[in-house]
Amino acid sequence: MIVMGKHLPRRTFLRGVGAVVALPVLDAMTPAFAGPAMRKAPLRMAFTYVPNGITMADWTPKAAGAAFEYTRVMKPLEKFRADTIVLSGLAQRNGNALGDGPGDHARAAAAYLTGVHPRKTAGADIQNGVSVDQVAAMQIGSQTRFGSLELGCDDSRTVGNCDSGYSCAYTNSLAWRGPATPMPPETNPRLVFERLFGDIDTSLAPEVRARRLRYRRSILDLVGERTAQLSADLGTNDKRKLDEYLSSIRDVEQRIQRAEADMTGLVPNIDKPTGIPVLYADYVNLMFDLQLLAFQTDSTRIITMMMGREGSMRTYPEIGVPDPHHPLTHHRNNSEWIEKVTQINTMHTQLFAGFVQKLKDTPDGDGSLLDHSMIVYGSGLSDGNRHTHEDLPTLIVGRGGGFKTGAHIVYPKDTPMNNLFLTMLDRMGVPMETLGDSTGQIGELSL
Amino acid sequence: MRGFAVAVIFASVVAAGSAPRAQEPARVSARGPAARVTTSADFEKVVKPFISENCFTCHGNKKQEHGLNLQALAVAPSLLDHGDKWEEVVAKLRGKEMPPIEEEQPEEEDRQAVASWIAKELARLDRVTPPNPGRVTARRLNRAEYNNTVRDLLGVDTRPADDFPQDDAGYGFDNIADVLSLSPVLMEKYVTAADRVTRRALFGPPAMEPTLVRLRSEGRRVEEMRTVPPSYDSTGLSLPNAFHAIYRVPVDGEYLIKVVLGGLRPKGSMPIGISLWVDQQEVKSTSHDQENAASFEIDRQDFGGQSVQFRLRLTAGERWIGVAIPRIFEGLPARFSGPNPSTRPETPREFKPPPNAPPERLAQLKKRFEEAGAELAKIPLNGVRVNAVEVGGPYSYAKGPSRASKARIYTCGHLNGQHTSTCPTRIMTDLARRAFRRPVTGAELAKYIALVRSAQEEEKSFDEGLAVGIQALLVSPDFLFRLERDRPAKGPSASAQRITPHELATRVSYFLWASMPDAELRRAADAGTLRDPNVVAYQVRRMLHDPKSRALADHFGGQWLQFRALESVTRDRERFPEFEDYLRLSMRRETELFVDHIVRQDRSVLDFIEGRYSFLNERLARHYKVPNVAGPEFRQVDLTGTPRAGVLTHGSVLTVSSYATRTSPVLRGKWVLDNLLNAPPPEPPNDVPSLEDSKIGKSVTMREQLEEHRKNPICASCHRRMDPLGFGLENFDAVGAWRTADGSFPIDASGVLPDGRRFTGPDELRAILSSERDAFARAITSKLLTYALGRGLERYDAKTVKAIAARLPRYNYRFSGLVIEIVNSLPFTSRRPSTELKADNSTTTRRSGS
Repeated sequence: MIVMGKHLPRRTFLRGVGAVVALPVLDAMTPAFAGPAMRKAPLRMAFTYVPNGITMADWTPKAAGAAFEYTRVMKPLEKFRADTIVLSGLAQRNGNALGDGPGDHARAAAAYLTGVHPRKTAGADIQNGVSVDQVAAMQIGSQTRFGSLELGCDDSRTVGNCDSGYSCAYTNSLAWRGPATPMPPETNPRLVFERLFGDIDTSLAPEVRARRLRYRRSILDLVGERTAQLSADLGTNDKRKLDEYLSSIRDVEQRIQRAEADMTGLVPNIDKPTGIPVLYADYVNLMFDLQLLAFQTDSTRIITMMMGREGSMRTYPEIGVPDPHHPLTHHRNNSEWIEKVTQINTMHTQLFAGFVQKLKDTPDGDGSLLDHSMIVYGSGLSDGNRHTHEDLPTLIVGRGGGFKTGAHIVYPKDTPMNNLFLTMLDRMGVPMETLGDSTGQIGELSL
Repeated sequence: MRGFAVAVIFASVVAAGSAPRAQEPARVSARGPAARVTTSADFEKVVKPFISENCFTCHGNKKQEHGLNLQALAVAPSLLDHGDKWEEVVAKLRGKEMPPIEEEQPEEEDRQAVASWIAKELARLDRVTPPNPGRVTARRLNRAEYNNTVRDLLGVDTRPADDFPQDDAGYGFDNIADVLSLSPVLMEKYVTAADRVTRRALFGPPAMEPTLVRLRSEGRRVEEMRTVPPSYDSTGLSLPNAFHAIYRVPVDGEYLIKVVLGGLRPKGSMPIGISLWVDQQEVKSTSHDQENAASFEIDRQDFGGQSVQFRLRLTAGERWIGVAIPRIFEGLPARFSGPNPSTRPETPREFKPPPNAPPERLAQLKKRFEEAGAELAKIPLNGVRVNAVEVGGPYSYAKGPSRASKARIYTCGHLNGQHTSTCPTRIMTDLARRAFRRPVTGAELAKYIALVRSAQEEEKSFDEGLAVGIQALLVSPDFLFRLERDRPAKGPSASAQRITPHELATRVSYFLWASMPDAELRRAADAGTLRDPNVVAYQVRRMLHDPKSRALADHFGGQWLQFRALESVTRDRERFPEFEDYLRLSMRRETELFVDHIVRQDRSVLDFIEGRYSFLNERLARHYKVPNVAGPEFRQVDLTGTPRAGVLTHGSVLTVSSYATRTSPVLRGKWVLDNLLNAPPPEPPNDVPSLEDSKIGKSVTMREQLEEHRKNPICASCHRRMDPLGFGLENFDAVGAWRTADGSFPIDASGVLPDGRRFTGPDELRAILSSERDAFARAITSKLLTYALGRGLERYDAKTVKAIAARLPRYNYRFSGLVIEIVNSLPFTSRRPSTELKADNSTTTRRSGS
């Protein structure tokens, strides 16, 4: 038998399983990435998605305006009342069947950030719209190391069709860079970490690193040329694939240029996660911590996160719900089942509240990260039992948008969710005429 | 008034089935090429007025409900261009679903007549249209293919693609060209992976700091026992005291495995053994004694927090690590009457009061002594367990490039760095030919070689320069995609173009191996002999026999039979405490081995339904109540005399087709229809009520609940097909264990199929499935063809599927026969030239390229 060597970084796994992630003070690092022009704290935008709808009776506050009472599911967020705005009445009507029959879960996720009716296909001709986060990422993403981050908490090995003849691309991804290019979420915290901080081998001498980056660029030049040449005589679908390839190449080239401009590298003061924590709460917290880090280090300003993929079958034995989530939501008004769904919904908001608290506790410029963020929390379905795409449960935390926080606003039925997104894009400095099915910027939100 | 004219014209057609009449326009039109004109005329006269009257309002130029514009499609000669849409129209008309019930309804006769006319015309067009091989989009390597390809190309077996984003699936598989998108994140990973893989191939593994990882194992609960059972698994592997987890070993090297123990054992027991298993082989063992932790007062051995460590070499890759406590009921004090009892002197418990103790102190001590005795009686005999396992490492791992990598890269024969000036060109040409899976031209390579030379100069290193070149190959579209190029059409009406021998070799090797062609297959392609059916048959058999065909079991089998889903399924721990990781891993292994056996031993594909054998280890055998299987290794077991045969009774399949808390005859029935009978039921309507779980097994049976459900005629139409199949499997619970009762109700495993056939239990259900071998042949053919082509099957593929399935009996249903037929089929050997490139082909009827 051998005595364990002392040099083993024991903390690696202790932190890695997600129980505690110590957050470093990284404020000092910000200037490394932010040019002098960006001294003012930047605005961040994030979307946190929960699957299978929410028990609306336990979600929607009774009263509108400032003096509303927090409902059971929202309760964990009550301490952020002054930073929160609850929006009722918004709809993603393109999530409806519109003649396409079943598949509401696939459509709910696909339409959530696009406001576009996804084409029903198991794969041959995937088509959706560009999502709000990607519209922003394509415009302002070059200001940070990563245009956007896409995260998820369901390590979904894809098996079979995902929902009623819809490709799994629809249920798995909120973010769509192009109509046929979903951005699959990263579900492994270790890989999120490596993506954020691991690609820069700081042990190499700066001149070696500089040369390697340069080779990479020459390589990308070479294969980029080759692709352009190839595209000239290929069919439509083949071309589409190579266009994806080419635009991704350009994206990576930009990253390399930014890396060349800044050779200092970023070494976060947090241990690398080793994998996916066993307990769901640990898992989600770790993913939220990574989001916090990404914002804090200004590695990106745009994040989407799926706390579960749409149609999620996750069970929650730790809160006394051993049944899978999705079938539970088809409760046919059985009160026992509704109660379980509400418990799941509440656990989700609790976890989210933990993230909000950390944002609030993290100094950023002249305030906190929360002050410079707008984070949408919600689902692409309201009543999971009936698969409704109207009156979606939606709230925004953070004062970054300069919104009328501390209120519950009830919009007229079927107000497009995308009107809200249009307004958010405007705040991000990406003014757009329209987005998906938007009919204009949303009213009553501004101070 | 509405529909009157149509009714007159169609009166004859409607009656056609019973009494043929002379002036039957549609029937006449279905014969011979001369009928074509009549057909178009019929269309204009009959079909068009009907659909314009009844359909165009919602599906016309003004409005396109469901994205359907029939007005634009209503051109007789091009019906087939949108055959699937017209087939849908036929189905909607026949099912009286359209026009919607709330709209004005046409005469029923007219509706049916128009449907029949369209259906017949489609069938006729199918017969006269040149065969369509379809067109596979450029296929990006999926994760498995990337891993295998860099392994075979550069000898790097680190599975770099495991870190890539998950590949989306379509049509049930994750190798579908159209669905495999390429996001910027993936491109980043390609660039990083190319760097790491190349450096590893040329310079060996990177400097790695040892790390410590704590492995988790879920769902174990030790049922405490106070008597020695008559028989048990003496390896301990299948007991919940053991620990199983999958660990990815990053590099060949030395590792430290720390085993954290827990639990109690009676005082006086012998030291326990601890054995370490890697991939089901016992590789190390040791023992641990906690007798000295037991004292006069405590009377038990407490293993809480104790640990032992093993130091051993592990090879890179995913390893199944198991730690067990063997012979757990041996070495116990003799009073438990277990086998091989403890030789430690058993000092009888005896109250020895200290002399001169005052009476109250004496009473206290006596009480404590008795309490300790009572505690002792409570100590379970099997309490000691493995609580956790930590893996530390790597230590002293192999440095420098591997022999496999060197052999694959330095092909110019100068292994020891004595390179000549032609070596870079030679090496890059060889690598590129393999990486791009086709011959390469000097012009094409010039840029890569220029890059190598300039980097070699700058770095003053042959290998550093080569590294840049190899990285470039690995991020090139020619490597990452399987590109197939159109060639100038030979004839004006070529609707199918044969792919090149190298493209064919590539299709075959990714189909069977999920990897690039090997040297032998490449040589056949170079020599152009792959057109010869005998050569194809030889190559297929050779490749199926190669261990690399394991990819078929993993990827095709895992997705077709869906046992891949086992990794993420959960079971309610209260109801299914036995569903721990060892059982889960064993279930997966059983089906993998079963599929692999059919592939590699070239068994009949009918074994999937009726093979009365399987591959079991002791754990699964116990789960299945199959006697005489001892030990952790899997072996082929004859299942005659048991209720099990075929994949349908595998724990894996029965588990993935159940819910976390209960079985679902609906899910299982659907599973059978989808995967074995090629008859997927339509999707359920929205707002479908589901079963009330809480009542099942308590106040009502599952069957009663489902019968209630079937009272609704909309539900009944499909559930009459699904549910009975599932009922036949009700004797298997939600983790595939045999049962005769569900809660307080006895299991009724009888069912009546829509055609009136009755059966009871899995054996009779299987007999029915066996009699449906044509349907099964078509099912497995469509699934395997989808996987082989990497695209969803279309209307025009139906012919191919039918023809292949019909020929399987000639091969006695052997797996290789199915593969040979697929590899020789039109869609596999040919492709439709791109429409936009071949304007001269516009006369041919074919679907648009979108």
